[in-house]
Amino acid sequence: MNTAPDDSVFHLDTAHDASGDAHIRITGDLDWDSADDLAEAARTLLCADPAPRRLHLDCARLTLCDSLGLASLLMVHRTCAEAGVSLHLDNRPALLRRLLDLTGTAFLFDDDATGAEVPDTSGEAAAPPSPPPPSRA
Amino acid sequence: MTRVEGSSPPGQELLSSVGAAWTRAPYPSLVVDTAGALVEVNAQAARLFPAAGKGVPLARAVPDWLVEGHRRAAVGGADAAGPVRGRHEQWTLEAHATSGADGQVVWWLVDDTHRELAETALRNEQERTRFLAEASSRLLASLNTERCMEVAVELASQYLADAAVLVAPAAGRRHPLSLCAGGEVEHRTLRIDPADVPGLKEALQGFPPVPSRWIDPSALPEWALPDGFTGPVGSVVVTPLPGHGVPAGALILLRRSDQAAFDASEELFARVFAARAGAALSAARLYMEQSSITATLMEDLLPPLLRRVHGVEFAGGYRAAQDTERVGGDFYDVHPGAAPGEKTLAVLGDVCGKGLEAAVLTGRIRGTLQALLPLAGDHQHLLRLLNGTLLNSRHTRFATLVLASVVRQENTAHLSLTSAGHPPPLIVRQDGAVEEARTSGTLIGVLPDVRSVTAEVDLRPGETCLLYTDGVTEARGGPLGDVMFGDARLRDALAECAGMPAEAVVERIHMLVAEWIGDNRHDDIAVMAITAPRTTHLTAVDGHTAGRYTA
Amino acid sequence: MTDMTTAQEDGTLARSRDALWQAVWARDEDAAARAVFAALDAGVDPEAVLLDVIAHTQREVGRAWAENRFSVAQEHSATAIHERIIAAMAHRVPAPVTETPGTTVTVACVDGEWHALPARLLAEVLRLRGLRVDFLGAQVPTPHLIAHLHATVPTAVALSSSLPLRLPTAHSAITAVQAIGVPVVAGGAAFGTDGRYARLLGADAWAPDARSAAGLLERGLPRPAGGAVRQSVDDLPHLVDQEYTLVVRAKRRLVRNTLAGLEERLPAMRAYSEAQRERTAEDVLHIVEFLACSLYTDDSGLFTGFLDWTADILEARQVPARVLEPALALLQKELKDFPRTLGLLDQGRDTLRRRGTRPSVPGPGAPA
Repeated sequence: MNTAPDDSVFHLDTAHDASGDAHIRITGDLDWDSADDLAEAARTLLCADPAPRRLHLDCARLTLCDSLGLASLLMVHRTCAEAGVSLHLDNRPALLRRLLDLTGTAFLFDDDATGAEVPDTSGEAAAPPSPPPPSRA
Repeated sequence: MTRVEGSSPPGQELLSSVGAAWTRAPYPSLVVDTAGALVEVNAQAARLFPAAGKGVPLARAVPDWLVEGHRRAAVGGADAAGPVRGRHEQWTLEAHATSGADGQVVWWLVDDTHRELAETALRNEQERTRFLAEASSRLLASLNTERCMEVAVELASQYLADAAVLVAPAAGRRHPLSLCAGGEVEHRTLRIDPADVPGLKEALQGFPPVPSRWIDPSALPEWALPDGFTGPVGSVVVTPLPGHGVPAGALILLRRSDQAAFDASEELFARVFAARAGAALSAARLYMEQSSITATLMEDLLPPLLRRVHGVEFAGGYRAAQDTERVGGDFYDVHPGAAPGEKTLAVLGDVCGKGLEAAVLTGRIRGTLQALLPLAGDHQHLLRLLNGTLLNSRHTRFATLVLASVVRQENTAHLSLTSAGHPPPLIVRQDGAVEEARTSGTLIGVLPDVRSVTAEVDLRPGETCLLYTDGVTEARGGPLGDVMFGDARLRDALAECAGMPAEAVVERIHMLVAEWIGDNRHDDIAVMAITAPRTTHLTAVDGHTAGRYTA
Repeated sequence: MTDMTTAQEDGTLARSRDALWQAVWARDEDAAARAVFAALDAGVDPEAVLLDVIAHTQREVGRAWAENRFSVAQEHSATAIHERIIAAMAHRVPAPVTETPGTTVTVACVDGEWHALPARLLAEVLRLRGLRVDFLGAQVPTPHLIAHLHATVPTAVALSSSLPLRLPTAHSAITAVQAIGVPVVAGGAAFGTDGRYARLLGADAWAPDARSAAGLLERGLPRPAGGAVRQSVDDLPHLVDQEYTLVVRAKRRLVRNTLAGLEERLPAMRAYSEAQRERTAEDVLHIVEFLACSLYTDDSGLFTGFLDWTADILEARQVPARVLEPALALLQKELKDFPRTLGLLDQGRDTLRRRGTRPSVPGPGAPA
């Protein structure tokens, strides 16, 4: 996974790590322009064979999340729940924590809240503010 | 020098001053002496002026303008005279003078007829182009069909005819008509039979125009004559106004009998003009149809005008994200309690997304809430039902909102406030202290179940509860540019609003946010103020506050 | 309208004004309504009640705010009370029945203009005189105005603006309205006490007050031919020097740099709180905006008038006006390549110098 040359432009970096987990790193503003891209990227990753057990969204470089951005996160959550994949929102910036708290949706993204029956082996803390970044391939 | 054969008898000294080829020169030429008598006439000139011959006075053989030209050349010298121009029979001639022997003047004549015709045609063409450019810009200036018809007949009667009548396709059984003669435009809506005017029915059906010469001017019905038109009709042109697939109408041009009849090129030009008028009229019609549909739809979607209800002031303000779209994702409503002691339900919310999709979702939420009003006393229940109706397997578009149930007891307004994933309302007290209502809850429309906590708040006279969307706090701007308006500034602004009427609070907050935003782009912004009045309210002023067109 | 003599009526008007003033000062809506309805009951012409009582009091409110005798809350409350009373009057005094209301007028405020009351008063006066009126309210985006005009084709548009900063916006509104063949009457303080800016921007007419505006609109104005939209440089050829454009585009940078410069020059400013700093930045922004507006109109009076007015406002709040001077000096450094701008800043500094010399320590948080 390479750092894109321009972090001011929205982009997604996707990867599978050695343990078979899927990762999406979100850079830039998640809004009207970009929300669909995230949902689409997640759907593509979940279709991989074999399917990943976990999907990690790395939000460290997320600079803005508006209501459509939140809608896309909710869509990813729904897709994961249907596929039995556990979803993890890693490195949530303050703006995202605030939005999730305000809208009463933070609990959805607490670990294992997707209801997927996947044992959590990542050892991540259950409640972010800022969990350590996951290891990358 | 060689003597040459010519129309003049040979043996003249003349030929010492002109070339041998002179008599066969392709241009007419005359030699005239100082006394004004013809000395020599070449073959071309003899053909042009049959009366010309040696010794004949010039005045007897050629038109006056040439005689006058010669008089001046004889006095001032041939070189000084310059060319003279004039008509002779069907030709336009240009005559150039050169000096001959013994003060004689040699006139060379050039047929200028074609150049003049070309210049006239060019002038006409330029004039028509200028007219069409002006016509287009004036026709396209208004998107109002009646105004557009008015301009079309004004232009046509000024430039193309003595009077013009535009017949629009029937609306129902009546045809709108615009008529103009002498500058005054009349609009009529009449039940007419287009078949009364030869070619009109065809034109309204989009068939090719009927040639003017086929139309009997005396057969025109009374309705086709503008009031200002005097004198018998001499000639008529009926031409279709081509529209978007269907004709936009037909134009009838009238000339009085004392004017020249329409010629073929004028008829053609009338068609060119009609094409432009038709395009403009079609655009106007399309626009009017669209805007009336939009206006009808928006009546239901635009936030309502708020007023005092049962002794509590309600005021709202809304500004859509794009200035060209007045319907967006933010909304508010007030549903008055059935009687003064009953609760009034106010709601302010924000649906995810923009434009028509958001507006449709907004409409569903407002409609559902209206239907659920009997349950307004139990916010949790109401939100659960609303959530259920909005759940959708295809998308995760959601709404956040605040519910406020309001009832006045004595001088106090009692509020139950419930946030469903929305920024909690702010309350400004009499002393300017600002508090946040302690309510929170889940957004609506995505999750199978929703939970919320309701806050109970009392407003004493002059105190206000402000409901707002995040368009307020997330507005970017300020004197330094890209800074968020934020919670702190909103609280500071609200602190100044203690004791203000609800409308003034809304206006103040809106104004500060608008100034903060300046020229920047912004999201939808909605605020609602619920205020306990400082004084017992004025029955004469209750309700019916005339509102504004836009927030 | 009334049997009263002029002297009686003058007495009643004066009493109503006093009573209304007392009422809005106390933010007492009931008392305010009583004051107005008492005048109507006494037979005073409703138009006189609108213009000589309500509009008069509203002007006094503005003056009281400028002199720091009224708080922001009092000022806003007074406006809201006036709005409500006007609405109530509209129900109480029906418009005369006219056979054919031949004249229809659209009354609107320029986009960005919040002071709707003068336009509202005009709309009510026109209604009382039997004209058909569409009142579009405060800050009407020009596209909305134009859409409304396409749908309704009124006889004329009355365009209101009180802030000179809105003149460029007013200009584009005027030309857009004229382009669709509707004449524009401009009114409000923004267009100058003598209407000079209305003429400059090519309005079809200007009116100093609601009565003369109503008179103009009753007599009627010729329709402009319509057609292509006139561009700003057609009316204001000086704009080709680009100084207006460049100053507007550099607005934020100019504010930031001037603020940084002020902090360097004036040690007292370094102790400012964030809020005080923001107020000062707003003051500087206003200076830049009025500078731009003067460049647009090529009229230095707008800029020097603004500085004089701001100085009055500051002094009413015990802030010396000399705080403005260093800001102008810093702007001159930033804009040294713009001759027209430099000239305006020179005139601005002269204006401030003529106000006399006082200590030049900026007071924090002065409202502009």
